Amino acid sequence: MQPSRREDLRLIQGQGRYAADWNLPGQLYAAVLRSPHAAARIRAIDTAAALAAPGVKAVLTCADVERAGYKSIAGGIATKDRSGQPMKKPFYPVLARDHVAHVGQAVAFVVADSTLAAQDAVELIAVDYEELTSVVTFADAVAPGAPRVHDEIEGNVAFVHEHGDAAATDAAFARARHVTKLTVDSQRLVCNPMEPRACLASYDAAAGRFTLHAPSQGLIGARSHIEQITGLSAKSVDLIVEDVGGSFGIRGTPYPEYFLAMLAAKELGRPVKWVGSRADTFLSDYHGRALSLTGEVALDEAGNFLAFRWSDTIDLGAYAGPFGAFIGTQNISITSHGVYKVPAVHVRSVLAYTNTTPISAYRGAGRPDIAYAIERLVDQAAHEHGFDPVALRQRNFIAPAQMPYKTATGPIYDSGDFPAVFAHALAAADHAGFSGRRAQSAARGRLRGIGFASYLEAAAAGVFNKDQTAARVGSDGVITIHCMAGGSGQGHETTFVGVFAATLGVPAATVQYRASDPAYDRLVGNGTGGSRTAAGQGSAFKALALALIEKATPLAAARLGTEAVTYAAGTFSGGGRSITLTELARALPPDADGNHPLDCNAETSSPATYPNGCHVAEVEIDPETGVAEVVRYTAVDDLGNVLQPVLVEGQVHGGVVQGVGQVFGEHAVYDRESGQFLTASFMDYPMPRAGWLKGSFTRESHPVPTATNLMGAKGVGESGCSGSLPALMNALMDAVRPAGVADLQMPVTPGVLWRTLNDAARKAA
Amino acid sequence: MTKISFTINGKQVSTDVEGRTLLVDLIRDELRLTGTHVGCDTSQCGCCTIELNGDMVKSCAMLAAQADGATITTIEGLAKGDVLHPVQQAFTECHGLQCGFCTPGMIMASVGILKANPNPSDDDIVKGLEGNLCRCTGYVNIIKSVKRAAELMKA
Repeated sequence: MQPSRREDLRLIQGQGRYAADWNLPGQLYAAVLRSPHAAARIRAIDTAAALAAPGVKAVLTCADVERAGYKSIAGGIATKDRSGQPMKKPFYPVLARDHVAHVGQAVAFVVADSTLAAQDAVELIAVDYEELTSVVTFADAVAPGAPRVHDEIEGNVAFVHEHGDAAATDAAFARARHVTKLTVDSQRLVCNPMEPRACLASYDAAAGRFTLHAPSQGLIGARSHIEQITGLSAKSVDLIVEDVGGSFGIRGTPYPEYFLAMLAAKELGRPVKWVGSRADTFLSDYHGRALSLTGEVALDEAGNFLAFRWSDTIDLGAYAGPFGAFIGTQNISITSHGVYKVPAVHVRSVLAYTNTTPISAYRGAGRPDIAYAIERLVDQAAHEHGFDPVALRQRNFIAPAQMPYKTATGPIYDSGDFPAVFAHALAAADHAGFSGRRAQSAARGRLRGIGFASYLEAAAAGVFNKDQTAARVGSDGVITIHCMAGGSGQGHETTFVGVFAATLGVPAATVQYRASDPAYDRLVGNGTGGSRTAAGQGSAFKALALALIEKATPLAAARLGTEAVTYAAGTFSGGGRSITLTELARALPPDADGNHPLDCNAETSSPATYPNGCHVAEVEIDPETGVAEVVRYTAVDDLGNVLQPVLVEGQVHGGVVQGVGQVFGEHAVYDRESGQFLTASFMDYPMPRAGWLKGSFTRESHPVPTATNLMGAKGVGESGCSGSLPALMNALMDAVRPAGVADLQMPVTPGVLWRTLNDAARKAA
Repeated sequence: MTKISFTINGKQVSTDVEGRTLLVDLIRDELRLTGTHVGCDTSQCGCCTIELNGDMVKSCAMLAAQADGATITTIEGLAKGDVLHPVQQAFTECHGLQCGFCTPGMIMASVGILKANPNPSDDDIVKGLEGNLCRCTGYVNIIKSVKRAAELMKA
């Protein structure tokens, strides 16, 4: 059999180049002093002993950062409320200024001859802290008289977001026959890519240029943040990224250590390398989720949905992270309808600061959370008002004939066949056989439940309205293609070369791929995020192949001596003769600047897509131990056209198991009194392991291609999370409801299940 | 400083190490074999797994000085020239890796599983990979890869 991907050969032989794998002659090593307190005033920082320690070259504090003119770390997408008030954003310093606002906030940066010398010197820095009372939950942060996370923000509320028509929603509720209300928490998570953050910065004083090696999801976004924060021209920073060990949304923007390494490299005239530990990841990588969503659904007598009303609370952490404010506002509003006809919707979210690590986008960035809340709410409504959960969904699905469907809150779903996807999933999951399987489980003393989740995502929108690509043709006929997205495991090299080579009809071996190459900084394009690269960059590479054919055709015609040239499978034909594209490329000399006559660029504009699907989970619980197992899992997804089925399936596996992690174990827990981060290591934070999804896994595609991009793709990256949270939680609820359990919240650990089942049994007795 | 000698990927190495230097840091920083990765600081993730005297060990949980006299194979030493080890072959065939950061450790751990048990069941594989974390694949294709490697090794 063949390798699955072009990138594999280096990665399976230890030849990948991740950020920590880079080294430069004469490099120095850095370590970070982090705040041990959740909230404290900094009275003084004494760095003398650290500076005097053997091998120490520099100790940077806030004073150095201010001297360098560094600005606040970017607070992400600009947001105004309905009255035009902007979000309240505290200054987010690269190194803490007069106070620290969460455990792990960077306070000082030591540079030394070796990592060990730098780490030793960190311990010699004396910071005079005046400890303050902290608030680590949304509820505590907004309680009357709560301590302020930042002096200037009274009540700790950053923003109140509203979306939709409140009056129409209220009116629908007033005439409803049935109403169901349910609160679900999507707990704070640590995203934990397997590669801890690291960077290597160097400065070429003669050229005035920096080189930075650091994990990234794309050059343009990363460099615009560097420009905003350091004040340096983005063009003076070459960001070199080869392999990235996972990103999941939180590695899209640069972190303080990168700016500090750049500053130190410039001041010391030597490269500076910083390699974070897993502790650094836990404490200082942006966290994910941290939402609580309260949904209400109004139904008529027959079970038609009349309205959804959402009231959500969003814990931003101590500062506005790059995408922190986007998640609990726009991103949960866009798909607040899910796959259903809902004539009226209103969303209200309150965003507050707490003394915890700031949040940012993590695989889905609010979309899995709202999908989870919708599908829990639908199941709860079915249960409370005597509807069959299958029939209730079928009654309310938007019909394919209604596409394109304009939702009550604005977005237009361009395509989709939700009833057919649902039917496909029920069949693939053998829904009909469930009662038999439940009886078998019961015979073994196990509680079995089934859960459905019809999710919908808004994907692929991107930050820039276009994606540009470039082809550079070598005199050997090899074509190198460029774009600005950055991969971190998705298999871009395989996918994009596949699209380009297939469109040209040439073997993939004649094409090379470069992502975010600084030499191509004329290109504009989105980074990787929002499940968009198949639709966005995929389309731009298809357009690039078509542009190349167009450019090559007259040149081929000249060679063949005829105007009537056709192109197929890599070969131009006309007048009874033919020339392959590779032969043509080899035959044409480059110009004086080294540009090949076939070099070309392309751009496409790919709007939002609406990937959707239905996941069906079956769980089995041992009531004696509280251990739940996922015994069957079925994912039927409409991801539009699928470009690389094996890779897409891998994305679904990964997304689903990240959902399994959130459902069964993961939780970033802070101590309410001290503000200490209690689950800040792999010993305390249960990551999903092999076997957490052990039962049968069925994945099938039900593509309804979109016409809004050239590939017809809708995107896959985040769908696994959006499907799995609700499917698994609905299955758990289905298993325990007969035992008298009214509610479960994530994470549903064995301890939680055991206690909940025992409490219910005691109440019933 | 302690003088140590060992064999790594067939090469004899002699070097001076500080008593507190971890084996993984010696391998990565001094020998520049950067295929062995560091994914945590609590010996949980298994990204740094290497073969030492025939056993799979986490090289972050050993001092370099303890490797004196040892025979070590890292991910870079697994293939025989251009011929991939069957476990490497199986990981790429079965799409058992995405970002690739856990992969060297996963492959080394899987070599160990198959060495101890050429016919592992799913449960054996799950148990054998208890000390290795992956954030991308959901482990589904990793388990598939180990089973495929077992087939390849028999062929």
